[in-house]
Amino acid sequence: MIGVINMTQQVQFTKAVGNASEINELLRRYGVKFGIYKNGVFKEQFFPFDPIPRVITAEDFGSMEKGLAQRVNALNEFLYDIYHEKKIVRDGIIPEDFIYISKGYLAECEGVTPKNKVYSHISGIDLVQAKNGEWYILEDNLRIPSGASYPLIARDLTRIAAPQAFEENSVVDNRGYAELLKETMENVNCGGARAILTPGRYNAAYFEHSYLAELTGSVLVQNDELFVEDNILYHHTYSGGKSRIGVLYRRIADEYLDPLTFLPESLIGIPNLMEAYRSGNVGIINAPGNGVADDKGIYYFVPKMIKYYLDEEPILKNAPTYLPFYEEDMKYVMANLDKLVIKDVAEAGGYGVVFGNDLTKEKLEDFRKTIIAEPRRFIAQEVIDFLDLPIVEGDKTVMRKADLRAFVLSGAETKVWASGLTRFSRNPDSFVVNSSQGGGFKDTWVLSR
Amino acid sequence: MGIISLEHSDRLYWLGRYTERFFTTIKALGRQFDKMIGTSHGYTDYLDCFGLPDIYTDNRSFFRSMLFDKNNANSANYSLERAYDNGIVLREEISTDSLSFLQMAMDTIAKAEQEHNGNVRLALLPLEDIIYSFWGSINEHIYDDEIRNIIYIGKTVERLDMYIRMKYPFERVEKEFIRLLKNLNRVPKGTPYRYNTKYLSDLVEILGTQEDYRRDSEKAVDSLGHLFDTEEVFV
Repeated sequence: MIGVINMTQQVQFTKAVGNASEINELLRRYGVKFGIYKNGVFKEQFFPFDPIPRVITAEDFGSMEKGLAQRVNALNEFLYDIYHEKKIVRDGIIPEDFIYISKGYLAECEGVTPKNKVYSHISGIDLVQAKNGEWYILEDNLRIPSGASYPLIARDLTRIAAPQAFEENSVVDNRGYAELLKETMENVNCGGARAILTPGRYNAAYFEHSYLAELTGSVLVQNDELFVEDNILYHHTYSGGKSRIGVLYRRIADEYLDPLTFLPESLIGIPNLMEAYRSGNVGIINAPGNGVADDKGIYYFVPKMIKYYLDEEPILKNAPTYLPFYEEDMKYVMANLDKLVIKDVAEAGGYGVVFGNDLTKEKLEDFRKTIIAEPRRFIAQEVIDFLDLPIVEGDKTVMRKADLRAFVLSGAETKVWASGLTRFSRNPDSFVVNSSQGGGFKDTWVLSR
Repeated sequence: MGIISLEHSDRLYWLGRYTERFFTTIKALGRQFDKMIGTSHGYTDYLDCFGLPDIYTDNRSFFRSMLFDKNNANSANYSLERAYDNGIVLREEISTDSLSFLQMAMDTIAKAEQEHNGNVRLALLPLEDIIYSFWGSINEHIYDDEIRNIIYIGKTVERLDMYIRMKYPFERVEKEFIRLLKNLNRVPKGTPYRYNTKYLSDLVEILGTQEDYRRDSEKAVDSLGHLFDTEEVFV
């Protein structure tokens, strides 16, 4: 089977990396944490790391790389089209319901063209590999996808704890991510410093914000350190002066970005930021309004977008998906509800995902009614029998479900980072791999030959 | 001057102060532990330095509270946590490497706390090495002299404050004061941590001779606390 690492190879990788404890000890030392709110209380946790890497062959990555770049290019075309001429709607490829009802569609972004026409500078594309080796796209994350910093630092530390693993295996070095990110930021820099905007220390991904700021030499800022004057974004400096910001990699959601444009009650936004952006005086990464393209409902249409905008056949497949919005699909969903996984398009982070076979008869019937009442709210997908990956648990190796978040960076060119965040479920019966729900992570090795 | 906000300059100052408070507390408690051997309630002189009441049942409860109790604002652990709180939002300025030493210190003190029956003092020894490494790393990673100076001002102010409260010999205090004066001289006008002339003059007077130091140490602590008050303008 192409693309599937066999058991003998997997044992070899496992042995090469060795014991988890040293690497986890190092991750602890370097403060690799994520924040989580439970019952309203903020807690910082170490992100459990499994030392056995997910390994992707050079051949497999070659095709995945093309497929991911193709997908992101089409999504960028789509975003430009939606906020300008909307040809794809006019030509009947995507029903307009899916655009205007989407929470991610922002009328305030109509007619705005970001520098170099790049909307999704950093795209996190979630994939799973089926047992036959085929990769399926699970979802696109084009707003503020997080997670790249974890395999980045884990690789660095694994090379300290288990150097032999990299002598014995030809693994593509993934440590160029910061340089790639810097290039991507510079591509849309409108003149000034690079800054990363964080909501603050108590954000779940604060480690990532600060680590990427350090690695890219960007200023890490919070909203109260920034202000807009004459449509230019500035940073208040220590000595009472101001310093211009040319590109802002914001790690806060669209609706909180600018209280004068979006939610007036936002306490973490920067008044008039959107004016500075519209005037072409600051690049915002990722562009506001991208949510319309990573909506779970729009996901269904991405293969059609690829054909429409690029006139190419999609290289990577979507998981088989049904839209109850379409009558035919609704019939199928109703007939197979107990076998499908249903996703609420408005939810993220593993929430709003229901496996039909987990529901009692009564709950299934209730859910059926909800879908009929709100067909646009849900998508249904076949449960892919995806490849389990080995993880170390105590002194045993056990098999668990895992996905892969690939990172695609769109600067002057669209480049796929030869690594990615592999997240796994620690619960043997669960498909949900999100860190917020107790999952762990692995490094992702791309073999160079 | 690199780009740094007022908020970050404040964080740097307090990172310097809390890290030093942690370090001086650890060292002082080490000496106090030695003094307490063979005594009961042999710690009251330590409490007197900080004007704290004796609420401890014995030497052990005092020692453990002053080391580990995160709710005790005078404990080493409390200061370390505050240092970390300030450090974690300065990663891009001080580096992940520097931050890792604070994390290492937190892990070491947490491990020492678990060793109920072991030799706690011995378990704490690596902390001194870790903090020395932290300062080495800070020196290595902060390229901007002005930014580096802020953290060192915090460190020296705290050291001086602790030394005066704990009635350190004049020679030690004088050396630290000279160090502080050198740091203060590097602060440009019109920026935070530019000293208030009045309070600096008071300090120069009090710490000028051994006798003045003995007599007016409380006033010295007070002046130190106001050193960065904005200068009043008299018409």
